[in-house]
Amino acid sequence: MSETPKIDVGEGAAIPSRSDWGLFNAWVISIVGAVSAILYLLIAHPDPYQRLLVYLSDGIVITFQVTITSILCACVIGLITGLGRVSKNKAINLVASTYVEIIRGIPLLVQLFYIYYALGRFLNVHDLTAAIIAMSVCYGAYMGEVFRAGITAIDKGQTEAARSLGLNGKQTMFMVILPQAWRTILPPVGNEFIALLKDTSLVSILAVSDLLRRGREFSSETFLYFETYTLVALVYLVITLILSKGVSIMEARLSHYVRR
Amino acid sequence: MKRLFKSLLVAAAVSVLALGVVGCGEKKEEAKPEAANATAAAPAPKTIVFASDAAYPPMQYMSEQKEIVGFEVDVIKAAAEKAGFVAEFKNVAWDGIFAGLASKKYDAISSSVSITDERKASMDFSDPIMSIEQMLVVAKDSTVASLADLKGKSIGAQIGTTSYLVIKDEKGFKAIKTYDEVGLAMEDLVKGSIQAVVADSPVAVDYTSKKHADKIKIATTLKSDKVENIGIAVVKGNQEVLDLVNKGLAAIKADGTFDKIKAQHQMQ
Repeated sequence: MSETPKIDVGEGAAIPSRSDWGLFNAWVISIVGAVSAILYLLIAHPDPYQRLLVYLSDGIVITFQVTITSILCACVIGLITGLGRVSKNKAINLVASTYVEIIRGIPLLVQLFYIYYALGRFLNVHDLTAAIIAMSVCYGAYMGEVFRAGITAIDKGQTEAARSLGLNGKQTMFMVILPQAWRTILPPVGNEFIALLKDTSLVSILAVSDLLRRGREFSSETFLYFETYTLVALVYLVITLILSKGVSIMEARLSHYVRR
Repeated sequence: MKRLFKSLLVAAAVSVLALGVVGCGEKKEEAKPEAANATAAAPAPKTIVFASDAAYPPMQYMSEQKEIVGFEVDVIKAAAEKAGFVAEFKNVAWDGIFAGLASKKYDAISSSVSITDERKASMDFSDPIMSIEQMLVVAKDSTVASLADLKGKSIGAQIGTTSYLVIKDEKGFKAIKTYDEVGLAMEDLVKGSIQAVVADSPVAVDYTSKKHADKIKIATTLKSDKVENIGIAVVKGNQEVLDLVNKGLAAIKADGTFDKIKAQHQMQ
């Protein structure tokens, strides 16, 4: 088998093609530029920048906390939703579809306000918890669509073969379809992961002390707007660049494994 | 057919644009005669654009008619009448209001800005409008009476305000949260997510006597050895605007208009 058919689900991760592996591709230029810009600022202008980085550090931790917890929850919600969306049971299908339809129709920022301030009157959740719930619920819906697309992209013959071998519906899904679907699902999941990390900057609206909120606190007090937001942007850039690289390496490995 | 559709589109776009331009023109014409009446002799009264974070009752807030109203707004309008300039208000989020002034997006800030030495380094201030204090607001059933009672508890304030500066370097809190608007901090206090809010005295009085009167109260006034004054911030070196504002403020303070506005808004 020389070539496996490629199935694209949404926008693929920025996977470097073989010709892209040289020194001068967009990724290398961005990461080298961003890292050297940060190092230059820290060394050449230690006064605001080192102080600033120290001030931002716990915000970076919070940003990671929100991102990683949310993405794990979103994956679980997404898997359930995705399975619901391809389910033959009409009721389950309807519930899953309605959830996706509603959540995708409401901006994340509004959802954040809604969960924290509107629902906060009835159930008092911690700001970090509210942020994670909102991010998970929102991205769970998007993730559900990714999972659904990945599942439906698997050839029907696989199901038929599995069923004719005597596997039941559940076994077919979990032992035959999902392990194969994972390969198509991974790149868009990686993209969602990166998008989610960037969207965590929205949770600063709930006064969660994330990277952006720490930056805003620092700048509103020192009036060093240029310096603060330059560093905040660079830190976000470096984090997302590293993540996108991780995703594309993982993807390359997975498809390599399949090809063998 | 396609071409017809295209030309229709273009026609629609042009007419929308034209309407917009006409609309803008009309507005300006309306504004002018009014201003001329106010300052009979002056040839063209200067328009001063004030940035205001209209989420700060009773000082400046949005009325249901979507107009910026409040105590400080009335003060500036009265001062404008006396000094012969036109005051225009622009709603700007607090976080970044100083950055906008530095890049001259407006001439001045009228947003209960406390006059501090740090701020004086990057902007100029008018004469003080009034002095304020910092107050500690807590839940109605709370026993907290001072900052020291809040050890291990969460406290909040609006981002980049002098209220935040008061608690910023205090140790022992579980968390210090900064909010975009003081109203969101009060909301969190009512919900019980935080145990106290520090706010300017007029705002603290307003929230504890009107909006959430049955849920929150003022625990104490945080004593400071310095008097905290609020004033109008202007772009550094903009003497023209500064003189006009000061002239107006002095005039309304001299003839009792200021006290009248104060009484109208039930300010102490």
